[in-house]
Amino acid sequence: LNAAPGRAPRQHVRFLPAPGDDGATGLVAARVPVLADHPLVRGPRFRRLKMGAGHRLDVKASGVFVLGIGHGNKLLTDLYNCHLTKVYTVGGLFGKATDDFSDMGKLVEKTTFDHITREKLERILAVIQGTNHKALLMHSNIDMKTQEAYELAVKGLIRPMGKSPPIITAIRCLQFTLPEFQLEVHCLHETQQYLRKIVHEIGLELKSSAVCTQVRRIRDGVFTLDDALPRTQWNLQSIQNAISDCQLKVKTELEKTLG
Amino acid sequence: MAAAAVWGTLRGVRRPPQALRRGLAKPAGPRSVRQLREAEEAGPVFQYVGKAAKRKDRVFVWGFCYSGALGVPSFVKPDVGWKKPRRIQPTPYRLETEEKITSAACGYGFTLLSSKTADITKVWGMGLNKDSQLGFQRSIRDRTKGYEYVLEPSPIPLPLEKPQETRVLQVSCGRAHSLILTDSEGVFTMGNNSYGQCGRKVVEDETYSESHLIHQLKEFDSNVVQVVCGQDHSLFRTKKGAVYACGWGADGQTGLGHYNITSVPTKLRGDIAGVNIIQVSSYGDCCLAVSDEGDVFGWGNSEYLQLASVTETTQVNVPRYLPFKIGKIKEAACGGTGNIVLTEEGNVFVWGYGILGKGPNLIETAVPEMIPPSLFGWSGFNPDIRVAHVRCGLSQFAALTNRGELFVWGKNLRGCLGTGRMEDQYFPWRVTVPGEVVDVACGVDHMVSMVKSFT
Repeated sequence: LNAAPGRAPRQHVRFLPAPGDDGATGLVAARVPVLADHPLVRGPRFRRLKMGAGHRLDVKASGVFVLGIGHGNKLLTDLYNCHLTKVYTVGGLFGKATDDFSDMGKLVEKTTFDHITREKLERILAVIQGTNHKALLMHSNIDMKTQEAYELAVKGLIRPMGKSPPIITAIRCLQFTLPEFQLEVHCLHETQQYLRKIVHEIGLELKSSAVCTQVRRIRDGVFTLDDALPRTQWNLQSIQNAISDCQLKVKTELEKTLG
Repeated sequence: MAAAAVWGTLRGVRRPPQALRRGLAKPAGPRSVRQLREAEEAGPVFQYVGKAAKRKDRVFVWGFCYSGALGVPSFVKPDVGWKKPRRIQPTPYRLETEEKITSAACGYGFTLLSSKTADITKVWGMGLNKDSQLGFQRSIRDRTKGYEYVLEPSPIPLPLEKPQETRVLQVSCGRAHSLILTDSEGVFTMGNNSYGQCGRKVVEDETYSESHLIHQLKEFDSNVVQVVCGQDHSLFRTKKGAVYACGWGADGQTGLGHYNITSVPTKLRGDIAGVNIIQVSSYGDCCLAVSDEGDVFGWGNSEYLQLASVTETTQVNVPRYLPFKIGKIKEAACGGTGNIVLTEEGNVFVWGYGILGKGPNLIETAVPEMIPPSLFGWSGFNPDIRVAHVRCGLSQFAALTNRGELFVWGKNLRGCLGTGRMEDQYFPWRVTVPGEVVDVACGVDHMVSMVKSFT
């Protein structure tokens, strides 16, 4: 960043002594650059960068992680107040139960799982969705007896706009090959450990046990996997391109939600 | 071994004998993949359920408890002295039954449960029994008297000719009478008969409490396939598509062309003469019938605009065709003041008076209004959720989706909605039941649901 051409130095008018025609010293006005703006005097333009992080992503999970640089940190708080949903792909494995719900933990129990079918799993997922939808309406702090609450519920726009326990707005099964399965989860105010706990509880509901093998965030509000930069592209040019691409999206989303 | 002992003594270190030696603790730390795999393979495998495990059938009840209609005696008379009787059960509570219950009906303060079994006890009743609507329940303390309130599901003895062959198909309950439909022995009626709703001649000054009388009705043009109880009248639908009615007719709910009581089931004429009716419904004083072609006919009370689309009069005593352009109708249900229909596409329409389910602003309408499917869980993410059945209580509605979810809305009289809150519900709200809801019966202040467990 410091190697890029910086601002042009300021110019000011100074009266410099110059040799006169008659031998007497006179003053000539000349426009010269300010000495204080010289790069050797000022030093490198950027010494530190203020970086802020968006929603947490823990060590065992992977996926989209939003960062803010400099003035973008103010947008981070606004995005947090929008309470947009995040989408995860959660991979699970039937037959084991561990103490921290992931496959790297201490084994607690092994069970059989040959009685599990895709239909049973989908039934459990439907019930999880139903109870979470009810929690969504209850934690949104709207009086259910008003007409506007009814209209928002019809459009599906009721959402908790403050603090709330983790809520899953949508969940469905992407793949199912015993013993592995993969779910797509849309959620609000969650932690990755909560998603692993959900996988464990799905295993318990199906009268077996399950551990979570993979948690990957594929969408965080307006940012999807396509906008995210992989490890190979962590250079200045791609970061600048990514910022300029997302600017419009972020602005429209903030205007739509926060008014 | 000896060499080691010698070595120890030579060095001056005293070592304890082998048997008492404590092992040194292994260092804790993040387990390596190899350690994890070894621990896994060493563990025993538990089996909780086998491949052929069947889903269990359960019954859940909720609502007002003091009448005993929920069938849980500890709500009314607690087992322990310090517990207070529970007035309302606000959320679904599991009721233990001996057999799989196939049909349930909620009356005004009492419930009937029936099973398709070939055993001798096929029907159980609980709740109010002041008019013998649950038959004669002999009191244990005094063998000549009967119970006025039945707190537990008690078997109802039916005078069957072939008790081990006949099966009970359906039960239905009204305000103070009940109907039991069997497959080969007609319809049994019991309870209050002051308006002839039991299908037998009205006897002056008859005492209905502690009565042993159960009447049997067999004279219809073909086998009766569905029985429905209104508040004080009864409707019978036969296999040939005809509808018979008896009971109170002051609002025209018998549909026989007059406003008097009828004590013998008589066939209805009017717009449904010759039409093959596939479903009848009634709970208050208004009745609806659905034909096989998807048309709906109505008769009875119209004070709440239930039939205002065809007539201005408040009582209609002849079945009238209701010209609604909402599509082919699959199922209809009548409540006290509001009606609800379900079309073939899975859309739900409501009309009438009261809390209809479209917010607090819609109080009454004569023309059916659709309830948006997004309120039942339909969304771009789940496009194949459809409403499968609709049911009506006196002032509340219930809808069952094809995923087994139960939605209720309406007046929350004494906690009958089962949402856990005491407030009225102005739009469809999910009831959390631990299972897939197969059927629900709505009463005045309580509800009964038949549920299949998940796995």
